[in-house]
Parts: sequence; C-alpha cells; structure tokens
Amino acid sequence: MAQLRKPLFYAALALLLALGRLLLPASAAEPVTIEYWHINSPTFGGPAVTELVTLFESRHPDIKIVEKFQPGVYTGLMQQLQVSLAARRPPAVAQIGFNLTAYAATQFPHVVLDKYRQSDPDFFKGIPDNIMALGLFGGKLHGIPFGVSTPVMYYNPELFKAAGLDPDQPPQTWDEVQRQGQIIKQKTGKLAVYLQQPNDEWIDQTLIWGNGGRPLSEDGKRVGWDSAPAVEAMQMWQDMVQKSKIAANLTWEEGIQAFLSGHVAMCLTTIGRQEHMRKNANGFDVRSAPVPRFGSKPLATATGGNVLMIFASDPAQEKAAWEWIRFLLSPDGATIWTRGTGYLPPRAALANDPRYLKPFFDQAPLMKAALDTFPYAKPWVSFPGSRGLEITKTLIKAREEVLEGKRPAEAILKEAAAQANTLLSR
Amino acid sequence: MSLAAPAGSGSVALAVGGARERVRLRRRWRANAVAYLYLAPAAALTAVFVYWPLVASAALSFYDWNLVSPDRVAVGWQNYRDLVQSRAFRLSLVNTGQAAVALTVLTVLAPLILAVLVLQVTPRWRNVYRVVLFSPTVISMAIACAIWLWMFHPLYGVLNAALGLAGLPAPAWLSSSDWAIWSIVLVTVWKTFGFNFVIYTAGLLAIPAELYQAARVDGASDAQLFRHITLPLLAPTTLFVLLTTFILGPQNLFIPTQILTQGGPNEASNNVAYLVYQLGFEYFRVGYASAAATLIFLVFLVLTAIQFLLAERRIHYGG
Repeated sequence: MAQLRKPLFYAALALLLALGRLLLPASAAEPVTIEYWHINSPTFGGPAVTELVTLFESRHPDIKIVEKFQPGVYTGLMQQLQVSLAARRPPAVAQIGFNLTAYAATQFPHVVLDKYRQSDPDFFKGIPDNIMALGLFGGKLHGIPFGVSTPVMYYNPELFKAAGLDPDQPPQTWDEVQRQGQIIKQKTGKLAVYLQQPNDEWIDQTLIWGNGGRPLSEDGKRVGWDSAPAVEAMQMWQDMVQKSKIAANLTWEEGIQAFLSGHVAMCLTTIGRQEHMRKNANGFDVRSAPVPRFGSKPLATATGGNVLMIFASDPAQEKAAWEWIRFLLSPDGATIWTRGTGYLPPRAALANDPRYLKPFFDQAPLMKAALDTFPYAKPWVSFPGSRGLEITKTLIKAREEVLEGKRPAEAILKEAAAQANTLLSR
Repeated sequence: MSLAAPAGSGSVALAVGGARERVRLRRRWRANAVAYLYLAPAAALTAVFVYWPLVASAALSFYDWNLVSPDRVAVGWQNYRDLVQSRAFRLSLVNTGQAAVALTVLTVLAPLILAVLVLQVTPRWRNVYRVVLFSPTVISMAIACAIWLWMFHPLYGVLNAALGLAGLPAPAWLSSSDWAIWSIVLVTVWKTFGFNFVIYTAGLLAIPAELYQAARVDGASDAQLFRHITLPLLAPTTLFVLLTTFILGPQNLFIPTQILTQGGPNEASNNVAYLVYQLGFEYFRVGYASAAATLIFLVFLVLTAIQFLLAERRIHYGG
C-alpha cells in the first residue's frame, strides 16, 4: 500500500500545483516586459537609451524594458513595425518620425492618447501646445512628441582658417555658402559642403520651406515640389554639386565621415548628432551655425524628430508603456535624453533649469544654433493616405536624380510631383 | 504437365491467374503505399512551404492590401496593368538581365582562367592560391559590402585613389546611375567567383593526364591542348556552372543592393528581387508586390525550362 500511495501523493501534488498556477494570478514579483523600438544607433544616442532603461528599471522593478534599435532611420523602423503588426507582435512603444505620423495614425492599430489628458493631467503640464500639436492628427492625440530636432550647419573652423576665412563668421545665407565655398575649394582643395542624404527627405523639405515654398498644399491635396521656390532651391543644390562642384553627393554615412575626417568644410545635418560630431571630429573642434537662409527670406526649417506611439493591446502592457513614456519625458529622463543626443526637450523650461539642462546648454556651444533655429521650426510634412510612404520615396528618388545633374531640377520635380499627386488621390 | 490441357482447366488457370494478379497488385499497391508514405513528409513540407505560398501570392496579386488593414480591396488586373506601365519595373527587369549576363560571363570566365593558371604552379603554392582565391566566398555578404562601401568612397576610397594614380577618371560609383549597377555586379562577382573556381579546379584535375601526354608526343602546342582537350572535357562542368550562375546569380544581387544603394540613385541599380521587397515592405503594397513576384516567377520559369531542355541535349557525362 505504501508503495502505491507514494506515486499517488506526488501526482496529486503536481495536479494541485498546476491548478494553482492556472487559477492564481501571476505572482506580483514577476515584472511586465515591454518592447521599446528606437532609431538610436551607437553613434546616434544609443548610449543614452541604455542609461534611460537602467534608471527606469531601478525605479520600476515591476517593469522590464527590452529596447531594440531599428536600422534605416524612421523609414526603416516603420517597415519593421508594419511587419510586426501584421504578425500581431508589435512593440509596446515605438518612435515614429514626424514625417510618418499621418501614415501611422491612419494605417496602424494603436492607442489614441487623449484619455490620458483626463486621467493624468499633470503629465501634460509644461509641454507647450505647439509642440504637443506635433502628435495630433485629425484632432486626436496619437503620439507624445519626444525627440525634437532642427537641422544645423556644422563646420570645420580649421578649413575656414586655411582658406583665409573668419571661422567666427560662418555663412548666413546660401549665397554666402556658395561664395565662401568657392574660396575654400580653391585655397584648400577640399569640398565646401555636404547636405545630408539619408533615406528620408528632411533636408529637402527644409530647403523647400526655407525658400518660401510648402512641401504639401494646405488642403493636403497636392504636393508643392514643382512650385517655383522648391524648384529654385533644388536647382541650387544641383548647381553646387554639378556646376560649381563645391558640394559632395554622398550617402549619409559617407558624408558624415567625409566631414569628420576633414574632407568637407560644412555639413548640414541634425542637431541630434552633436554628441557624435563633437567626439569624433578628427583634428578640429567642430562648431555649428543655424541653417543658411535664402537671401532676405526668413529662416524656416522642417522640424525633425519623433513622437512616441503605443501599440500594446494588452492593458498591463499599455499601463507599463505609459509609465515608460512618462519617465522618458520627466525632467530626469529628458535630461539624460537631451544630453546624450542633442534633441531639444519638449518641456522647454528644462533648458533654463539649473537642476536639469542649464549646465548642459551652458557648456554645449553646438546647441546654441539649434535653440536659435527653434522658433522658426515648420512641420516635417507627413504625406497622408495609404500611399504616403511611396510619396516620400518619390521625393527621395527625385532628389537623387536632381543631384546627378543629367536634367534640370524643374523637369525632374514636375514629373515627381505629378506622380505624387496621383498617389495622393488614391 | 501436358500441353493439351483438359477442357475446364482453362477457367481454373484463369481463376488462379486472377488470384495471382490480385495478390501481385496488392503487393505492388502495398509497396507503392509504403513509398508514398515515405515521400509524404517531404511532399507535405514542399506543398506547405513552396506551392501554397506560390498560390497564395498569386491570389494576393489581385488585391490592394497593406498587410495590416482589416479590409482587402479586390482590384482585378489593376496591379498587373500598373506594373507593365511602371518605370521601376521596366528598369529593374533590364538591370536584372544585364547583371545576369555580366555575372554569368565574369563568374564563368574568371574562375576558368584562374583555375587553369593555379594548376600550373607547384602543388604547395597551388594550395595557397586556392585558399586566397576562395576566401571572399567564405566572408558574409554583409561584411563584404561594408568593406566595399569604403573602397568605393568617391573622396578617399582605395578604388578611386588607384584610378587617379593611373590617370583614369574616378566615377562616383554608388551615386552615379551609370555605375551603381556595375558596382553591385563587381561586389557580387568578387564575393561569388570562388565557388565556381573550386568546381573548375576539380573539373580540370579530373581530366586524365595521359591525354595531354599523348597529344604532346604528337607535337600539340599549349593552345591546342587547351582548345582540343581541356575545353571539350570541361564542357559538363561549364554547363553546370553556366546554368547555376544564370539562375542563382540575380538572387545574389539582393544584399549588396540593400546595403550599398537601396536600388538608387532613382532606380538605376534596382533589380527584380529588390523591387519586390521595396513594393511589399517599403511601400506596403502587398498585392502589387505579389503581382510583380508572379510575373517574375513566370519569366524565370520559362528560362529554367529552356535551360533544362538545353542541359538534356548537350551534357554528355563521361564514364
């Protein structure tokens, strides 16, 4: 009998344990794990993400963050996100570029965040309305603006000196860029300028805004790439590459490396790169200036950066996702984020707060150009509708053709705009 | 047993024969059933992972859908109509054709010449050369592309420095619509020729040495040996290399395209495999991408059929 009882006893025990596991809620000690997708490579804010995760997890032992870098900037992240949504395994939180928010808001299942305005009003205090507006689409709040950036012109003062130019007087207009660029080219044999060319059209939109044009008409029905200001701006870029040969036609990484290694005197790219630029400039102390203006026209730049959107469908995951977003925008989180990337804090007051970001802004001279540019920030237009991503790519392809210089910018942009208008109407 | 069988025994014989036949059939059926049973797992896997996606993809090509949206819109032949009018599709077909021909010529000629040359040196050096020449094949394609990215750099890349020393013009490799596709072909050839090199080396070593000795006694020159002994006896090897390179070569273009140019500038280096990826996973027009994939599948189906016919007629295996 004893022999029979023993196995029975164990079987009963196993059954009881299994039932208990099913019936009782998961133990409180088990943390909720959420995924966070971002575009911050090791040279572009990656270390700041690691620091943020560590600090957050030490304060919230009940939540575990799995951060995942997605290559290919915002477009690349978007592609992975769409695939993960199709497989019903999206991340809880992801950075969505300002240029893609309309597409994500209209095409992807996600959490609309207006309800948090009632349940968590404290969170929204201190974020200016015009910044919060970057997360709005169709009157609803789809994302929380997180990284806000402007383009700036980094430059190499040593090459300015070598060309006999005053490094304290960097060019303020595109005419000056071209005039000083000629001198730099003649005196040093180096190229004068590189305008970033990643797989997005941020700088293209900046040039269009800057020359008084609009990337998209106000009613959203037509693109504005074939307008006179847009054509003129893109033709200027083509001329700098092909006619006067003072500008480089390179991929993004190639271009940044060429600037950092002293082969190009000026580099127009995001303030989000300031930490990387400062640390990696080879043989010179990098400086920055606001984006050059078009003649007497006022400065206008496309606002770069991203909103945080929640894709979690499980309530526990959504709760953890909101906690994570609250932390990222809290004074502590924003301080780490801004210090590590150069993104401007959505809570603008932190920049003057001696407890948080004032010390950083005081000793980060590269940031001044971004702060000076900020009041002139225009939206980075997100093309609406189901063909939005294709329209973005149409502008990128047009720029590639413009810079090759086989046809004048006008012909290329007319064709591209006609294609884009067809896609907008689908 | 007498040949003149008594009447009635025929039906018995028939009955016995019928029973035997039934037994034979049952045995054969049982043997076949076992064979089919053994084949079933492989057949099921092929059906699920090869034929079902083919059918599903062809079905999807009649819809407008983004993978996520709950509603798929049936659009009939619209995707196919858009496709034949699309510049990107036309260009990527032309590019793929050009690249396939260039890849086939280069990855057949270069390994053949190198294999013949390497076999001329002493066996000790022969192994050194074989390792050196095969090493690009072992490197991952992504790493090979990263290396070439810096060699192609227009301002301080090794390639343009060398061209500059030789007094030749330095192209902007990856940003030039004239050069981008050939830059990708160059990387692909460099990365893949080692495989054909090994096959050619084996083919050359299999040619009996007596043939060469006998021809030499008859006073044949080196060129004659190559023309009349090496080339004909290498024919099966060459045909194998040609067939595999022509069909598989274009598939090798995907990774370098993704890493080096993303099909740019302005589609100049796009190819059919990358275009399908772009339509499906960059623009999220899954139906449109499926239509492209279906058309390309049909093109390759015809090419493969032609190749099989040629191979059946032309290959004469020795022994």
